[in-house]
Amino acid sequence: MRVFGVIALALALSTGAASARPSADPGLSSGEIVIGGTVPLSGIAASYASVGRGAEAYFKYVNARGGVNGRKITYKYVDDQYNPAQTVQAVRQLVQQDRVFAIFNSLGTEHNLSVRSFLNATKVPQLFVGSGATTFGRDHKRYPYTIGFLPSYVGEGKVYARHILRTKPNAKIAVLVQNDDYGKDLLAGFKAGLGAKRRNLVAEQSYDPLSTDVSSQIARLRSSRATVLLLITTPPFAIRGLVAANRLGWRPQVYVNQVGGATNIMRIISATANPRIIQGAITLISVKDPSMPRFRNDAGMRLYRTIMRQQLPRGDVNDGFHVYSMAVAYTFVEALKKAGRNPTRASLVRAVANLNLRNNPFLIPGVVVKTSPTDHFPLDQGQLQRWSKNQWNPLGKVITAK
Amino acid sequence: MSAVRYALRAVGFALFVAVVVYLPFRISDFRASEFALIGVYFIAILGLNVLTGYTGVISLGHGAFMALGAYTTAILVADHGMRDLWTIPLAGLLAAAAGAAFGLPALRLSGPYLALATFGVAVATPIVIKKFDGLTGGSGGINLFEEEGITGLPEFIVTLPGGKVLSFNDWLYYLTWTIALVLFAVAWAIHHSRFGRSLRAIRDNEIAAAASGVWLASHKTLAFSISAFYAGVAGSLLAISAFSVQPGAFPIDRSIALLVGLAVGGLGSLAPLAAGAAFLVFLPQWAQDISKAPGVPAVIYGAVLIVLMIVLPMGVGGLLRWLGRPLTSRLYPRS
Repeated sequence: MRVFGVIALALALSTGAASARPSADPGLSSGEIVIGGTVPLSGIAASYASVGRGAEAYFKYVNARGGVNGRKITYKYVDDQYNPAQTVQAVRQLVQQDRVFAIFNSLGTEHNLSVRSFLNATKVPQLFVGSGATTFGRDHKRYPYTIGFLPSYVGEGKVYARHILRTKPNAKIAVLVQNDDYGKDLLAGFKAGLGAKRRNLVAEQSYDPLSTDVSSQIARLRSSRATVLLLITTPPFAIRGLVAANRLGWRPQVYVNQVGGATNIMRIISATANPRIIQGAITLISVKDPSMPRFRNDAGMRLYRTIMRQQLPRGDVNDGFHVYSMAVAYTFVEALKKAGRNPTRASLVRAVANLNLRNNPFLIPGVVVKTSPTDHFPLDQGQLQRWSKNQWNPLGKVITAK
Repeated sequence: MSAVRYALRAVGFALFVAVVVYLPFRISDFRASEFALIGVYFIAILGLNVLTGYTGVISLGHGAFMALGAYTTAILVADHGMRDLWTIPLAGLLAAAAGAAFGLPALRLSGPYLALATFGVAVATPIVIKKFDGLTGGSGGINLFEEEGITGLPEFIVTLPGGKVLSFNDWLYYLTWTIALVLFAVAWAIHHSRFGRSLRAIRDNEIAAAASGVWLASHKTLAFSISAFYAGVAGSLLAISAFSVQPGAFPIDRSIALLVGLAVGGLGSLAPLAAGAAFLVFLPQWAQDISKAPGVPAVIYGAVLIVLMIVLPMGVGGLLRWLGRPLTSRLYPRS
């Protein structure tokens, strides 16, 4: 096989490897633009399926109004079962067989990492990655075709650290963290935010995302006598962690990260554990939460509910991932408009790196989606929220999470 | 076996090889990558067949040996600058050693107890990989894409005289299937050797086999080791074709999938196992094409599997054997 490879390489060099480049990039015709992505539709992370369905619903809504420059957007999202090896196969299928214009809104840190090199080598845009891992925004020089969407986990961690230092400068802090890149990133940001007060962080316990129980971790955190508990967890572990803490009679000041703190999750905790354990809990949000009463008459959320009713009638309107994915889809549509009448992959990537969108209807008022050729973090703002009266209430102004 | 049957077998094998060589000329570039993946599964299932099909030992943990092979390749290429192709036999050998090491104590267990022990290994694999993140890159895994030792790259395109364009996916296809055919021949040789007959004797009746002079411990350990070798090679090819390894790529599902592929292909068969491998690659996609509604693909997958096991209890191999029997034996069933 090595001989074959060498001969092949020699042949390739001698013939100049005729890379017959068609006039337009793949996936684009006069009436359609085809994009694709991976989302877990089955397996352990199937609850994230809404991230694909919400975006699809928004594109259908846009298509019903004539699409973008006369082109309908077709969004092919494929199940990768949250297994990075499946992501590799699925993305190759999307690029090589379905010939999509761009990869969009694929979910998961490891999953996007596993195809980032491939997509950049083949010059396929990897847009609005569904992960806050810092590398997707930071390493844009090396991977110019990749851009994230969520506020970076590092930035989010720093926000919580600053808030704790301002309100409880001497409190002992305990952290429950998911043992993967997402958890490590957020924890690193949190530690950086604590700075000199790093010693306040007295206990740190991690759990594997495949495990089902965190009560022993919570017991150990409690024994540290910490009075602040930061949960760097996905929704199921936020619930399990606080149920376990409640069982031990522990009442720390809770901070829960954006990934795990949606209103519907908090209400489950309130119902299964004890409303008092999350009384005064704090989180950071950038995307409007459909369960928040203050958005009941908000124009953006009315649009959201209309789209849900028309395009996704069987979807759960209170599922925040639907709003999130519409926020991403909205950003994509705006970027596509800016990419020219006949966009190319390169012009789309340029447009994505020069965004300044003030009125994304699905984001918290005041949050601006802004990028530049040197800033590949589209969303780096959010607003702290405090939990009381069975809902999140805004705490201060919109701040930058960097 | 008579000379005629040997000749028939040889012709059959030559046909199989011809189909494998010719296939990329008939299918699209992307399909070639899917068939390469089928080759990878074929290798792993051939290995599992030595253990489960011949020896009758059920392993639910072969995904762990695949992971070991994949990580061996990834670490050697990324950290030691080795060429990917040379790491394939090393990955197999390391997995074989691990298989022997695991096989020795596991021999004290039998039947379902051994299956459970292997299940434990498969469950622990992703967590153990993450534990040694200095070596394995933790949950993000190892990216091989920009490493020097990688032979095939996506830009790889060759135009053959005659107009056929060989792409990177064709390269992966020929790489995996060359190895698959060699290992297929080895499995066939094992099947027809004295060693293979001893393994089947163990499967059919351990006590009788021991009474006939088969040393159970050494045979079972060796079978474990051989099958782990196959899994290691398959894992290594998986890493090469994906340009990366992550602990998330080796969940317990992967081990179970191998057993499913083996059952669909037919326990104890050889060539029909390729059908089992194709089943693993194509059925989930096909199920997704039918419907993407929550849970539906999984239900379709399960339903098809159940129906298949009812209709073809001996898998595709059993069907082919049945078709190959004289017509009269079908008219008058003996059992």
